[in-house]
Amino acid sequence: MSNLFSEQVSRLKESHFLALYWCAQAEDKHCKYNITNCFDDLKAIGITRTKQNAMAVVEALDALRFIDVRDEGNRKNLYITSHGARALETLVLERAFALRKSSFLEGN
Amino acid sequence: MAIGIGGAGSKLALQLDPNATIVNVSETELNKLEAGRKILAVVHAARGQLRGSRKNPQIGRDAFLSVKRELLSLIRGEVVFSSTGGGTGNGILSGMLGELAELDDVSPADKAMFALILPCAKLEPAEYVNNTALFLLDAVSDAIDSGNTGNIMLFSNTLKFDSRLCEAEYNRMIIESLKVFLAVPDKGDRMDLIEGHIDYEDFALYCSRPYFNHFTYFEYDPEEDVGKQIEKNVNPLLLPPESPIEALFLLEMPPEQDSTCYYNILNHFVGLNVTPVHSVVCNPKRKRPFLTVSLLYSRKPAELVEDFNRISEEHARAKVRKSLEQHVPLARLEVNLQDEAKQAAKQTGTEETEILGLLRRIGKI
Repeated sequence: MSNLFSEQVSRLKESHFLALYWCAQAEDKHCKYNITNCFDDLKAIGITRTKQNAMAVVEALDALRFIDVRDEGNRKNLYITSHGARALETLVLERAFALRKSSFLEGN
Repeated sequence: MAIGIGGAGSKLALQLDPNATIVNVSETELNKLEAGRKILAVVHAARGQLRGSRKNPQIGRDAFLSVKRELLSLIRGEVVFSSTGGGTGNGILSGMLGELAELDDVSPADKAMFALILPCAKLEPAEYVNNTALFLLDAVSDAIDSGNTGNIMLFSNTLKFDSRLCEAEYNRMIIESLKVFLAVPDKGDRMDLIEGHIDYEDFALYCSRPYFNHFTYFEYDPEEDVGKQIEKNVNPLLLPPESPIEALFLLEMPPEQDSTCYYNILNHFVGLNVTPVHSVVCNPKRKRPFLTVSLLYSRKPAELVEDFNRISEEHARAKVRKSLEQHVPLARLEVNLQDEAKQAAKQTGTEETEILGLLRRIGKI
């Protein structure tokens, strides 16, 4: 693991971690997970109240190549990349953050 | 006649004189002893006076007011015994010494001698030590300044505790020792005089000096230095003496032994700028010279209190140290349920395995 990668991972916040996790979870469940879903989930947890913040999280992950943002129809769907998976793995192994449920994916 | 104040004082006074007058605030205590006269100092208790002063000198001081006139006339020219640690002796005597200090002039014949029993600061309760310290600083200090008391003898309980003696035995030792000193004029009267003379008047005058009295007695060796002998034979029942202001000695010589050795003793005292009242008598019962010597010294009560304070401070420090050593600091337990849940989840490893499993399933790692 390069120094750059570990530094990138060390800068990730809880919101990034959750976004990565929910993307991976959505892929596992064969669902499409888009920016709006991500915003709703972050808002439900109380991490943010504005869509701009959710956008910033997604754009940062996209810029780092941890997720792919694909225009599909009129939705921007999110897909975790292999770098993102490694970043998530690192965070999990470091026990950096606790898991939170996505209300979109787990429906409560 | 002797006067005993409080429990300890009464027992001592009765040892010296079975017809002594005893004073107490508790009827129960008075009834325990047979005495020539018993005086109950009134404390105005609603349920009768069956309790003592519970080591509280204020009770003694209040009670003194009820017997003030009677006691002040009784103690004239007598020996007053009292302890300084408890409530009755300390309280009544504080009142009495306070009254004496107020008087304008007391004739030598009317001055009372005081025999005070000081507690052993190391082993007796802190209350006793505190009471004594206050008593010495306040009442004794004023009385000495006024010059209206006779000799004050400071007996100490230290020897009793160090030698593990029972109280009756220790009281007997104190009285036996005191009797040796009080017998000085009597010996001068009964035995053949060789040099000087201490008659009853001289002795009474000596006893009326307002200083602390340290007396001791031992077999005198004319070959050895007197100062060293006195130092070696200080009376263990009394507090050690300071440099004397006045002195008295009685030398008992066996018959047919050179009595001029008493000049050595005189010279010793002259060296200390003291001219002692003295007498040399012939005692046929003695095999070796026997010296009874008394030193009057004036030690400021503040210094005496220093000693008590020092010991009680050491005591208090040791207690604090002990309590600190025994203090076990307990970590403050802060429970955050969220953290606890996280911890529990981490321990079971569910999150970790779940996410890693998930990433493997989707083929990203």
